[in-house]
Amino acid sequence: MPVSFDRASTLLAFKAGRAFRQDATTTVTADPAKGAILLSNGEDGLLHFMWKNRDTDIPEEDLIVFPTDATFTKVAQSPGRMYVLKFSSSDQRHFFWMQDASSARDEEFARNVNSILEDPENPLQWGSSEPAAEASSSTSAPSTSAPDAPANPTTTPAAGGFQATPEQLEALQNLIRAGGSQTQGGLGGAAGVAPDMSLIDILTPATLTPLFTNHPELVPALFPYLPSDLPLTPSAEVLERIVHSPQFRASVASFDQALRTGLLGGFVQQLGLPEEAGLGIGPFLRAIQQQADRENRESGARMDTD
Amino acid sequence: MSDEEQSGWQLTESDPGVFTELLKTLGVPLIVDDLYSLDSETLATLKPIHALIFLFKWVATGDSDTGPGSSSGAYDPEFPGFFAHQVVNNACATLAVLNGIGNIPSLPTGSQLQELLSFTTGMDPQTRGLVVTSADWLREAHNSLSPPSAISLEGLNLPRKTEEAYHFVVYLPYMGAVYELDGLKPHAVRHGGFSEQGEGWLKTAREVIEARINTYPMGSLEFSLLALRDDPLPSLQTQIQKAQQAGNKAVEHDLLAALANENSKRERWAFENSLRRHNHVGLIHGLLTSLAKSGKLSQAEAKAKEAMKKRIEQRRARGGDMDEDD
Repeated sequence: MPVSFDRASTLLAFKAGRAFRQDATTTVTADPAKGAILLSNGEDGLLHFMWKNRDTDIPEEDLIVFPTDATFTKVAQSPGRMYVLKFSSSDQRHFFWMQDASSARDEEFARNVNSILEDPENPLQWGSSEPAAEASSSTSAPSTSAPDAPANPTTTPAAGGFQATPEQLEALQNLIRAGGSQTQGGLGGAAGVAPDMSLIDILTPATLTPLFTNHPELVPALFPYLPSDLPLTPSAEVLERIVHSPQFRASVASFDQALRTGLLGGFVQQLGLPEEAGLGIGPFLRAIQQQADRENRESGARMDTD
Repeated sequence: MSDEEQSGWQLTESDPGVFTELLKTLGVPLIVDDLYSLDSETLATLKPIHALIFLFKWVATGDSDTGPGSSSGAYDPEFPGFFAHQVVNNACATLAVLNGIGNIPSLPTGSQLQELLSFTTGMDPQTRGLVVTSADWLREAHNSLSPPSAISLEGLNLPRKTEEAYHFVVYLPYMGAVYELDGLKPHAVRHGGFSEQGEGWLKTAREVIEARINTYPMGSLEFSLLALRDDPLPSLQTQIQKAQQAGNKAVEHDLLAALANENSKRERWAFENSLRRHNHVGLIHGLLTSLAKSGKLSQAEAKAKEAMKKRIEQRRARGGDMDEDD
């Protein structure tokens, strides 16, 4: 049964066909069927990447995409207008080819697809913006010609400060594995209580980007927590790239899972938080808010600038 | 506890940036690139290619041990090159790389790798696999690109877990024939000779790989192809110099574009690898603290609760166990 899309709001749509490679050859070959790629906010609150056959009007592909999990990039090796939707959480790949009569807007569509894939709330940007001069090259990446010299920030956080002891970790891992079959409940013993929120939904680019923009004074305090061998000089832009990265998102997911066990009491003390902060996500956030309030007060209400 | 945990080999991503970093640690001047097509033009742009790594997951059920595709070629128990069995699951990516570079003639390597390769000369594949996977330095090189163990808690992450099912097979030319080195098979598989003319061994390899893919029912196979190739940077630089001396502006322009592409790819790899090695818990704490200080945390919390509620309703509507559990 095709889902009804009435209540789903379409964010972006453009003409494109599909391409396959698992067939008789490893070469990716374009399927001639006329189609369109649609990105929409489903009724389910999730982002859908769909491919619809324009002759039958039937969506033949409907992929749920979590923010920052997928990218839509031009297949550099292909002479045609071939694009690949790549997932970072799996090796899934879906190929498409642009079907708009002119190729002039290919990169523009792709750029907007990526913007939505990063964060469905990102506004679309039409018309060629400044980098249009280079639009002829297929490299749509905002190629920052990085300085080769690796920036070594002087203050590296004592990474050791966050290490759980091997015993703690093992206990944690065993517990998590034991409850693993229940997936959602975290600990099986919690009688299938579903979590009421996830850190993944808190540390989203949509929440963090405005923070970096509106509170530049808070940004430098984060630099010591960045990798010491980062090939770029820390900045708000770099932070943005990091919070978008699948590696960071995966860490957030792991930490979220670990917190859900309620067993991080000893661990959170190393972050300067009281033991009860390790009892779960709610207690953890409450403790952070208290810590922040205290620091705000100590720094003499210098923060109330907005 | 499973073998993998005891072995101390962590799961790594099968990403070209990860493989390339591993090769660098091994002191080998090669890189790995994603391959989206096996057609001759694509392959020509990546030349010289020393080996192809075919990694796949067979999603259909059945006798996965002997699966289709194994019928082509013939076991060569006398294969004189380097072939190690996959004795530890999580080590498969590194083993595939070793099975590749262990058979490239006169390849410069770091001294530790050289010692390991010569130490294992003449061993049977099983012993070789055991010796290789018990090399601490190699395990450390392999593990260095997975998140630090502090709060990584691998195994929780469902998408990652599925990666364990990936299987790596190397195809390469060896003494005039194309060989398939599959760490789960008892012997190297010989796929017949090739002509040095034209495309050379890659033509045979393509036929073998395509035939193999065809034996799987449609849609039952997820796969990636990676190319183990010379690092193109040195040759690009030489060519650019030559073009400059010859005053060939058009060629120079193209080469410079290729160089810029290659460099931005390296920059991306370096960036991603540094994030892979990093423990992000401090940053997570810092970000939450910043949100709290700017008074935005409770708002973000409310949004997150809303998102979770929707997700749960969604799951219920679909009958409980749609996505995550299986």
